[in-house]
Amino acid sequence: MANYFNTLPLREQLEQLSHAEFMETSEFADGVNALKGKKIVIVGAGAQGLNQGLNLRDSGLDISYALRKEAIDQKRDSWKNATDNNFTVGTYDELIPTADLVINLTPDKQHTAVINAVMPLMKQGAALSYSHGFNIVEEGMQIRKDITVLMVAPKCPGSEVRAEYLRGFGVPTLIAVHPENDPEGKGWAYAKAYCVGTGGHHAGVLKSSFVAEVKSDLMGEQTILCGLLQTGSILSFDKMVEKGIDPGYASKLVQYGVEVITEALKHGGVSGMLDRLSNPAKIKAFQISEELKDIMRPLFQKHQDDIMSGEFSKTMMEDWANGDVNLLKWRAETGETAFEKTPAADVKIGEQEYFDNYLLMVAFVRAGVELAFETMVEAGIKPESAYYESLHETPLIANTIARKKLFEMNRVISDTAEYGCYLFDQACKPLLADFMKKVDTDLVGKNYNEGKDGSVDNVQLVQVNEILRNHPVEIVGVKLRKAMTAMKTIKTV
Amino acid sequence: MPNPVVHIAHLDLHYAGTAVLCDLNWRIYPGEHWLIAGKSGSGKSSLAKAIVKQEKASGEVIFQFDPNSPMPAKAYYVSNWYQFTNLEGDRNFYYQQRYNKQQQNDTLTVYADLVHFGQKQQLDLQDAEPILKALGFENCRATQLIELSSGEHKKLQLVQALWLRPQLLILDEPYTGLDRRSRTNLNLILDEIAHAGTQLILITNDSDIPTSINRFAQIEQGRLQSVTDLSKIAQDEERRQKPLPYFLQQAPYVDTDTMIELRDVSVRYGEKEVLKNVSWRVHAGEKWLLQGPNGSGKSTLLSLLNGDHPQAYANDIFLFGKKRGTGESIWDIKAKIGIISPELHWYFDKNATVWHTVASGFYDSIGWFVQVKYEEKKQMEQVLDFFDLLEDKDKLLHTLPLGKQRLALLARTIVKNPQLLILDEPCQGLDKSQTAHFNAVLDELSGYGKTLIYVGHYESQLPSCLDNRLVLEDGKVIFRTCSPESSIV
Repeated sequence: MANYFNTLPLREQLEQLSHAEFMETSEFADGVNALKGKKIVIVGAGAQGLNQGLNLRDSGLDISYALRKEAIDQKRDSWKNATDNNFTVGTYDELIPTADLVINLTPDKQHTAVINAVMPLMKQGAALSYSHGFNIVEEGMQIRKDITVLMVAPKCPGSEVRAEYLRGFGVPTLIAVHPENDPEGKGWAYAKAYCVGTGGHHAGVLKSSFVAEVKSDLMGEQTILCGLLQTGSILSFDKMVEKGIDPGYASKLVQYGVEVITEALKHGGVSGMLDRLSNPAKIKAFQISEELKDIMRPLFQKHQDDIMSGEFSKTMMEDWANGDVNLLKWRAETGETAFEKTPAADVKIGEQEYFDNYLLMVAFVRAGVELAFETMVEAGIKPESAYYESLHETPLIANTIARKKLFEMNRVISDTAEYGCYLFDQACKPLLADFMKKVDTDLVGKNYNEGKDGSVDNVQLVQVNEILRNHPVEIVGVKLRKAMTAMKTIKTV
Repeated sequence: MPNPVVHIAHLDLHYAGTAVLCDLNWRIYPGEHWLIAGKSGSGKSSLAKAIVKQEKASGEVIFQFDPNSPMPAKAYYVSNWYQFTNLEGDRNFYYQQRYNKQQQNDTLTVYADLVHFGQKQQLDLQDAEPILKALGFENCRATQLIELSSGEHKKLQLVQALWLRPQLLILDEPYTGLDRRSRTNLNLILDEIAHAGTQLILITNDSDIPTSINRFAQIEQGRLQSVTDLSKIAQDEERRQKPLPYFLQQAPYVDTDTMIELRDVSVRYGEKEVLKNVSWRVHAGEKWLLQGPNGSGKSTLLSLLNGDHPQAYANDIFLFGKKRGTGESIWDIKAKIGIISPELHWYFDKNATVWHTVASGFYDSIGWFVQVKYEEKKQMEQVLDFFDLLEDKDKLLHTLPLGKQRLALLARTIVKNPQLLILDEPCQGLDKSQTAHFNAVLDELSGYGKTLIYVGHYESQLPSCLDNRLVLEDGKVIFRTCSPESSIV
């Protein structure tokens, strides 16, 4: 199979990359009608598979689960998930031939095997849905020409997809139809109906393409979302310990700090996050994040280039073929870092203290979000897509760090994200070595405002605010966040 | 005179800019067991929290516990609101979560939670057994915390406190959500531990209290005022009855005469059978009382009716004339129902304003997401005015006392004038006059063609319009009475 994106002429590459249209509510007026009475079979009953299925059924659709025979015979978790919630469960042979729509919600790595097993069983003119386009775009999977291929990708973990639906809301979602596989022209109607069934239409839907989704998703997850949060967390922790801050305190500040800080990002964008700092601290965070952007820009560009050329997926798939040797080695190393091994102390850290004492992370997050966004847009990805894959998802990943630190974050995210995260982290740490030498506890570990009188130069402050607020990620963010009217506040701390 | 066990002097406490306690002085001597009662919002819970330092207050709180007592020398507070976290330490739950089965456990089991508590407090697990039994909680050991109903959560809190037997035990509205037998047994255990040396501070307006209570007080203008007995406690004034908003005097649209029909419905979680062969028919216009002890299956039954339970698809259930799982969405069902339950309150988004809370009643959402229409806005204003909530409409729910939060949620429940009202302990957290008022409202509403399912543990505090009764025990229907015009299933 050849990389699909690389087979396209430049004109077509650019066209597909730039698919990003924010959809109006009125486009979903038909509700789930296009799928009503149709037989929908979900392959895979993990977090996404189960929770999307629960939503779709609660929206009045006919859902059943096709699992591999071994999963059924051995009564694995996927089988229990589906049967405990009273779904019909059967083997591929039993259920796939009846399906009008097959929804593939297995992990990326299994896609080729799953599709090869499922496709011959699918009836003429059926539809196949993905929630990530890696298999189509990077692996170049060819789908039978009579089959409609679409994508519905909720931009949240499966548990959130369910929780938000039951609140009467939903999570932001990308939908797409593969231009090579829309023989009957029903792709968009199906994708929209499916999206309504999961509740996504309440929270903002982006009309995207397989190509745009893959190239932006990979970029976001390996740079700002996972890579930089990992690098920034480890460097911050090590710096505090080096400078004599209590390791237990340092561990807690790092573990929960990134969640508290990005919670402000989620509701108020980059400028809202920096607004949580005092004026002098804000100016300082601005200055060091400018410096960080200059240092890291070539690395962000390299990641985007490797993603566009297919170099990244090629190397990663070689590791898949090699039994994940690299991935497993790097995962084990993450489990051994001092941060991972130092339990968080039982000390109270106030919400504001996370900002005041962890200014360095505020700077890291601003630099990472803006860089990832800028790099994607320069590469031809639309600001809307770039927003979802950078700023929007950062708090979600931060939440997994708050729960169980980095090892757990890497376990929870996809193997693809994890692989890219390690590549970034390994390259980024040496890049930041000189910068980190200058960092002291005023930036991480202690309150930056201590011993300062809070005065700043007025003109300088006005300029900083203006630069922050007029960044394109802020402009598009204001528009997209409006659609997410009632974002939930995360309650960990 | 001996030294006081607790000496409180010049206690001042402010909440959101208003003074709640001002220069409060209180001495609790050995052998005293106090009841604090009185008006809602007078500062009872704030005082309790200030004593255990959960609320910041200025002034002095000095303990002089008995160093020779075998009981832990500490003050332990059981709050009127329970709190638990998932295994990862956060609290982002939704109220239907306990019905959605996932293989991975979200929360600890009751047993694991008790083991954890016992280790922390250095207690012997065997000592918890008789308490579990007395509160009818011994069958819940393997239940996950997320699966407990509100009454069961209350029991878990109480089991821990009674097991600990601290020298000072402060219980804030401990009877909330408990069935009658558990309330009686709780009082017996409280008398027993009081006799053994635990001193009690009980915050409640309930009149069935432990016999060991020997001092009574209320909070008047921020100060503690001791009174001779229960009858001297000032109660909230009778609420001025306002006319029911005109739109609520209209009979709602009714889809079909048989609103609900359950045929031989069973629900099981693994080994545990929560509902056993339940059949039930509810006709339009009927007013049902649903009863049963904690854990008898009431919440599960109601969740089947409200589209909140995935097992509805595996059972023979007809709602509003349509069989479940035949193309209807849960939003179609919820649109016809106004629901309130302790769980809905517990999981509700407390960062919502009162206005948004009520608005969400039109969309059956937890929190509010869409612009309300002109007509809806009018109805909201009328309902808020009716419940005396207009001046609170821009306040965030969590800044209001529990009673007012509950009223806001009741306003949310009726604002769309639904054809079916499901009221699961609607008056929990309300004081006596608020309860009497709400029941009077229900009696009046019932005259206008509404259908009602009501759950309540206090026989004395029920609306009088209820004329049918279904009693569950252990998941089975053990008693059923119907008014003459209802057909028997």
